[in-house]
Amino acid sequence: MEQTEVLKQINDIFIDILDIDNLVITTETTANDIDEWDSLTHIQIVVAMEKKFKIRFTTAEIQGWKNVGEMVNTIIAKNK
Amino acid sequence: MSNFINDIYNKIEVLSPLHAKKLKKNIAEFDDLYYERANNFMLKYNKYLKTNNKTIDYAIDCYLKMIADVTTETIEFIYTDKYTSSTFDEVNKRVYANPETMEYYMHGLLLSQFLWKHHYQIYDYYINTLPKYSDKVTNYLEIGAGHGLYLSKALEILDKNTVFSVVDISQTSIDLAKNFIEDSRINFNLSNIFDFKKENCYDFISMGEVLEHVEDPLKLLLKLNSLLTVDGTVFITTPTNAPAIDHIFLFRNVKEIQELITQSGFEISSEKYFLSEDVSPEKAEKHKISIMYGAFLKKSKN
Repeated sequence: MEQTEVLKQINDIFIDILDIDNLVITTETTANDIDEWDSLTHIQIVVAMEKKFKIRFTTAEIQGWKNVGEMVNTIIAKNK
Repeated sequence: MSNFINDIYNKIEVLSPLHAKKLKKNIAEFDDLYYERANNFMLKYNKYLKTNNKTIDYAIDCYLKMIADVTTETIEFIYTDKYTSSTFDEVNKRVYANPETMEYYMHGLLLSQFLWKHHYQIYDYYINTLPKYSDKVTNYLEIGAGHGLYLSKALEILDKNTVFSVVDISQTSIDLAKNFIEDSRINFNLSNIFDFKKENCYDFISMGEVLEHVEDPLKLLLKLNSLLTVDGTVFITTPTNAPAIDHIFLFRNVKEIQELITQSGFEISSEKYFLSEDVSPEKAEKHKISIMYGAFLKKSKN
């Protein structure tokens, strides 16, 4: 799975969960850039991603991502 | 002194920015009284940590381990719509009889008393309402005293001749409460509440966040009813939809708690409930956000 494709699908999840219509995320995006992205919405995003990509994340992964790029990389690695 | 609780938030922010962001959002509306109470408690707690050769950084690590557990449990809850444990034996093995887990869990819960919005709000409700009973209580019982935060307030608010008793299943909790509260008026009893033999009835029973830890909360409330004087008062708190490693009984909404109260022969004198997160009621319902329920109860006349 391509990074761009995963990023696009994650972007849709962020828009849906955070309720920000025109949100555009990049691999560099962090929680500092989006006020609505906190540990509560993070869990909802995680579950939405798990369902979308049919994978399960570990607690260490969920708590360890520093930016969207790291989330994308985990998804790609799990889909190999 | 005014910075101690903020220092804790800042330390959490370094280790877990996403979580700190949520915590800070949740307490954004709190006033100076919150900071005064939180700082007083945290200073006392810090003294306890020092006595035990530990630091606040250690406590924060414990808290974040607990948060990792809560995260895992929450995700499972979203998938399964139930708590991961369903029997006391399970949680006993997993938590209470597991010293390593108990250690971080206990410190984590302690910090949550002031870091979690709904924990503070329900505590505020208790200490604002308790003075109403100050001249009526002679015999006070607390079940599951934990860190002794509520008990210490009762000691402050109620008449100086009041006799105080504590029943707790955990020696760790009793030791912690003893460390926190130096008052010779308290009788500590290490016992399961179901095995606790009353010497007399109590005119005030306080039981914070215990119902969700038992398999049969109705049986527990009936036990409380049997320990209460005819005109006595019970204070209970319990959360809805609150996945945790030691939660067994799932209340899905406030109505279920209220129905259980009625079934166990009580009526509600006063009640309040608080959302655990700063979200709209619609979002709370959609995402099953936990609600902390608290009530002062009396025996039903019917």
